[in-house]
Amino acid sequence: MDPKPEAAGNRRRSPHAQAWLLGAAGVAIALAAWTLLAYLLAGGGGVINRLPTPLRVARDLLRYASADLARDVLSSLRVFLLGWLGGVVCATLAGLLLGRVRLLANVFLPVVEAIRPVSSIAWVPLSIVWFGFGLTGKVFLVGLAVFLVVIVYALDGARRIPPDLVRTASMLGMNARQRFASLVLPGTLAEVLIGSRVALMAGWGTVIVAELVAADSGLGAHLIGVEQSYDVPAVMATMACFALTGFAMNALFTLAERRLMPWRSDDTLAAP
Amino acid sequence: MTHPRAHARLIKDRLLLPLAGVLLVLAAWEATVVAYQLPAIVLPSPWAVLRALGELVRTSAFWHDVGVSLYEFAVGYAFGTVLGIACGLVMGESRAFRQAATPVVESLRFVVPFAWIPLTILWFGTSVVGKIVLVAYAVFFVMIVSTARAIAQVDPTLTRVARMLGMTPARRAIAVHLRAAAPTIASAARAAAAIGWIAVVAAEYVGASAGLGLMITNAATSLATPVVIAGMVVIGLVGAGVSALIGILARKRLEAP
Repeated sequence: MDPKPEAAGNRRRSPHAQAWLLGAAGVAIALAAWTLLAYLLAGGGGVINRLPTPLRVARDLLRYASADLARDVLSSLRVFLLGWLGGVVCATLAGLLLGRVRLLANVFLPVVEAIRPVSSIAWVPLSIVWFGFGLTGKVFLVGLAVFLVVIVYALDGARRIPPDLVRTASMLGMNARQRFASLVLPGTLAEVLIGSRVALMAGWGTVIVAELVAADSGLGAHLIGVEQSYDVPAVMATMACFALTGFAMNALFTLAERRLMPWRSDDTLAAP
Repeated sequence: MTHPRAHARLIKDRLLLPLAGVLLVLAAWEATVVAYQLPAIVLPSPWAVLRALGELVRTSAFWHDVGVSLYEFAVGYAFGTVLGIACGLVMGESRAFRQAATPVVESLRFVVPFAWIPLTILWFGTSVVGKIVLVAYAVFFVMIVSTARAIAQVDPTLTRVARMLGMTPARRAIAVHLRAAAPTIASAARAAAAIGWIAVVAAEYVGASAGLGLMITNAATSLATPVVIAGMVVIGLVGAGVSALIGILARKRLEAP
């Protein structure tokens, strides 16, 4: 409980080992509290009288993993990837157009700003009316969610090309197309990459909601299925699958980003 | 701005062109409906949506739904922010607690609020309690992470000055660190409001006895598309209003001495 940050350096144990130890202790305490709570609530009434122990959830997770997990995850990932790619591409194009053409920005930016507060989640019922329960509607929703996030970054990137660089480029005799290809496009794409990572979780969350409401396939459909049979351990196991998939996507993308843009410091790559 | 030409240009850029954009989009919408003879179930004209909105506003059921959703949001948001800031403050102040809590917080952060919806329905039914818990959960994790980060970024000089002045650690945390981190925490509180509001709507889609999310899914099942779009507009307006209100309140509190 020592709140002196500057004195932290001269501890005897290596700070890394200590962080690991404390982290493990924290996880252990959380799991112990969960188990204890499960036993306490098992007998009595109360609102939450259906809390399984962590062990029970782990067992259900393994059982699900040996059955339909791979099929459901792949189905959800397909929705996610199609929507995410579509959203990123559309947002990049729109960002370049609105960011570089002043007239278009003045006319259409307010429209974009008016749509942005209506989160993609609010579009779920309309998408069901338009596209039904199939793949198209879900891809549309995920694409919309990703678009609404990435457009901000794409606009920012397209607008914030340093004017000095543009002047230097034209002084060096670059024509408009060369300037676009070697200055505007890379600058915008770098920002789009950051936005795409931020949009990972927005898109993945939209997949969950879309599959919960239009439950025909994927992890969300499974989640609704086990919920309707009051199988709490299986519900929690499916939640863990959602979290693990989200975590894996985030880790993968962070790795790819570090490869693609090594000049960005670790600081900006830290969690969103 | 004093120059009349610059003034005229400002009016053109800020007022006339945006207005043109909105009109253009509305005209394109109306033209699509007329040109393809779309039935109102697929895409109603802007006027039909406006009429649906006007009829909605006059019913008491609509205001009941808005009230229920706002109530769920407000209670959950209050719990989530207070607990999140408190835990984030402890995380920022105590190194040991931060190192112990980080793995748990980080792994729970990946269980997005939406994934909790079925579980809250099993635990709390379709009542308001489930939504309140869900909003509190969503807001809590935004606030704990950003508060801890904001506290860690407070200028160390302030800490040293406070210690020199003989402040106790608790007083230092509240009077110096929390105050210095307040602007960052305030903007996080605004972002959390948007997330919490969406969590309410999503939870009401899946299982609720009243609320805007239920209203709009009911309208979708009965193919009343004008009501669906009007509901979306209301959800957007309320969300933007709530965020703006929290932004104003936070700024006012911060500017007060």
